[in-house]
Amino acid sequence: MTASGPPASFAARARAALGDDRLRQALGKATALFAARRRTALAEVPDWEELRQRAARIKREALNGLHHYLEQFAANAETAGAEIHWARDAAEACAIVSSIARRIGARHLVKAKSMTTEEIGLNAALERDGRLPVETDLGEWIIQLAGEPPSHIIVPAIHKSRADVAALFAAELGIPPTDDVAELTRAARVALRQRFAAAELGISGVNFAVAETGSILILENEGNARMATTLPRVHVAIVGIEKIVPRFEHLAVFLRLLPRSGTGQHLTTYQSILTGPSAIVGDEGPEELHIVLLDNGRTAMLASDETRPALACIRCGACLNACPVYREIGGHAYGSTYPGPIGAVITPLLAGLERGGDLAFASSLCGACREVCPVDIDLPGLLIELRSRVVEGRRRGELAGGRAAAFERRAIATWAWAMASPRRYRLLSRLARALPGPWRRGGRPGRLAARLIPALRAWGAARDLRPLAPRTFRDLWREDEG
Amino acid sequence: MAAPSEARDEIMGRVRAALARVPIGPALPWELGAEARSPAPPGPPLDLDGKIARFRAMLERAGGHLHFAGSPEETTNAVREIANAAGARRILHSEDHRVLLRAAALEGEFTWVPHDEERAELLTCELGLTAAQWGVAETGTIVLESAAEHHRLASLLPPVHIALLDAPGLLETLDELLAAVGSEDPDDMSRTITMITGPSRTADIELTLVVGVHGPRELHVILLRGAGNPLA
Repeated sequence: MTASGPPASFAARARAALGDDRLRQALGKATALFAARRRTALAEVPDWEELRQRAARIKREALNGLHHYLEQFAANAETAGAEIHWARDAAEACAIVSSIARRIGARHLVKAKSMTTEEIGLNAALERDGRLPVETDLGEWIIQLAGEPPSHIIVPAIHKSRADVAALFAAELGIPPTDDVAELTRAARVALRQRFAAAELGISGVNFAVAETGSILILENEGNARMATTLPRVHVAIVGIEKIVPRFEHLAVFLRLLPRSGTGQHLTTYQSILTGPSAIVGDEGPEELHIVLLDNGRTAMLASDETRPALACIRCGACLNACPVYREIGGHAYGSTYPGPIGAVITPLLAGLERGGDLAFASSLCGACREVCPVDIDLPGLLIELRSRVVEGRRRGELAGGRAAAFERRAIATWAWAMASPRRYRLLSRLARALPGPWRRGGRPGRLAARLIPALRAWGAARDLRPLAPRTFRDLWREDEG
Repeated sequence: MAAPSEARDEIMGRVRAALARVPIGPALPWELGAEARSPAPPGPPLDLDGKIARFRAMLERAGGHLHFAGSPEETTNAVREIANAAGARRILHSEDHRVLLRAAALEGEFTWVPHDEERAELLTCELGLTAAQWGVAETGTIVLESAAEHHRLASLLPPVHIALLDAPGLLETLDELLAAVGSEDPDDMSRTITMITGPSRTADIELTLVVGVHGPRELHVILLRGAGNPLA
């Protein structure tokens, strides 16, 4: 990371995002639109709650029996002719893809949008080999040309205006600048067609992997995933081990839930169900299908009863659109592959509390995320669990911020001690009334408090102290009684 | 063969260790049977007209078009009209027999390019003609199976796609579809099953909807209602 890279702390990145009016406008529009479309799409389903509880049960079963289902998936996919690879971490997964690309002498690589390949940093790894894949989802391609990371799971280039895209395409493709979105899209179609036609290797993620049949399912709207998994001679799919569903018929439940939750469509334009490579060499479709099963921290999440349910996530993005924090700051501020409430949960779990721990605090715990989650993940509960792990880590000195954590503990213990006895409470409220003017009158306690108790500085900076009433409720009550 | 089994053994070991304390019911792995299917749709099953009405509404909502043909001639005429309206001259086609009938009937009017021509030839076609093995009324979706025809490129590369769907292939729900195309023996399944609902679309620039980004910008489904006529 260079010195001009994004700021290191979540708070600093969030502040930067809050200062970007255009980003906030675009985010507001996108998140409100998707949330509204989602509500309309839900209304068509006879019993949404019943459906999402079924989905939650299927995912729970899949995760609780993952040892069985993973082996079943691998065996069936191999029988169908796919080659299964296992990757313990990001580096191993990237090395597997690199070696496939080297072996087949691939010079042109195309990629369909995949969060999992973002997570493992696949593009950077392949670029070191001189084989940078071309992103082919329109939004992903735009930000690849611009050299930026995605800001939203579903619409990665939401922070770019049509004028930005026009300028970018004029510079990169040599087309005359236009603010006609259809024209810009046509230019992308033409440019990317050439990439597809030339590519020897296509890379994708998957949405679901079916244990019973060894099939993978990819959902999309543009058709770029179909192109990337049909035209090149070799297809590599990167699959997090949590993507497994036990049975083929279970797909119906998720096909009803995922598009409605993500974009509010009743179904995305395309679903590709792929079981093995093409049966005959020279047939349409790839001769080789490689499936890379990725751990990269997932088994650690699986090992704890508290964090296992987070693996049920189907990456729809509904919790992002519902989150009051995400709606204001967008994806970049999280500084992680997965933003929003689910990102705040799985980033610290996959990348470690040192790197992602502060994201657990990027939530007001309002619960909107859980309400919209199509697999009913208790995101607020998981955030609280992570917060307690962060605080525990700080107390034990394993994480930075130990002194503040110790102060916080003492302050809360003191508060609890005072509030637990009517006599102590009375004494303290009388004491508060005797404090200097600024405290009694309310307002920002920042300056004075910071002088008295430095740890209060951050707390006071964004909070107003309510002015104390001249007489306490107890006084008034006594008077009334008398 | 596959990657070093060391990684496999380690990951499977971690998974087993992670789940060692999870109580596993005796019924696993088949604990999830029918109860994990989608809830049944309310009301009695739709008849053919009901399915067609629903299919049409959902297909049109997704931006696709439905046409009807009651005889082989009507099917051929519908293909001709759509192709002419699109200004198409070169038609990329699958080997489905209903498709081949149209290629024979319209041989002089268009250039017919089979699915196994050179890639460069396929890329110049202005229209793709395939069958569809299934339709799903619930979502307005057509479903193409590689075991029935080479559909992958013909339904994807040209800017206009026409699919011929036999009325008996029209199903009501996604559950019925998965029961129809799935199998407990993966060898009995199509290698590629493609579900298509409307034209290719994107809203990646300022959330403005544009059709035909990578796949077809137009999707036409011709529903063959010539009951009892195998060559309809």
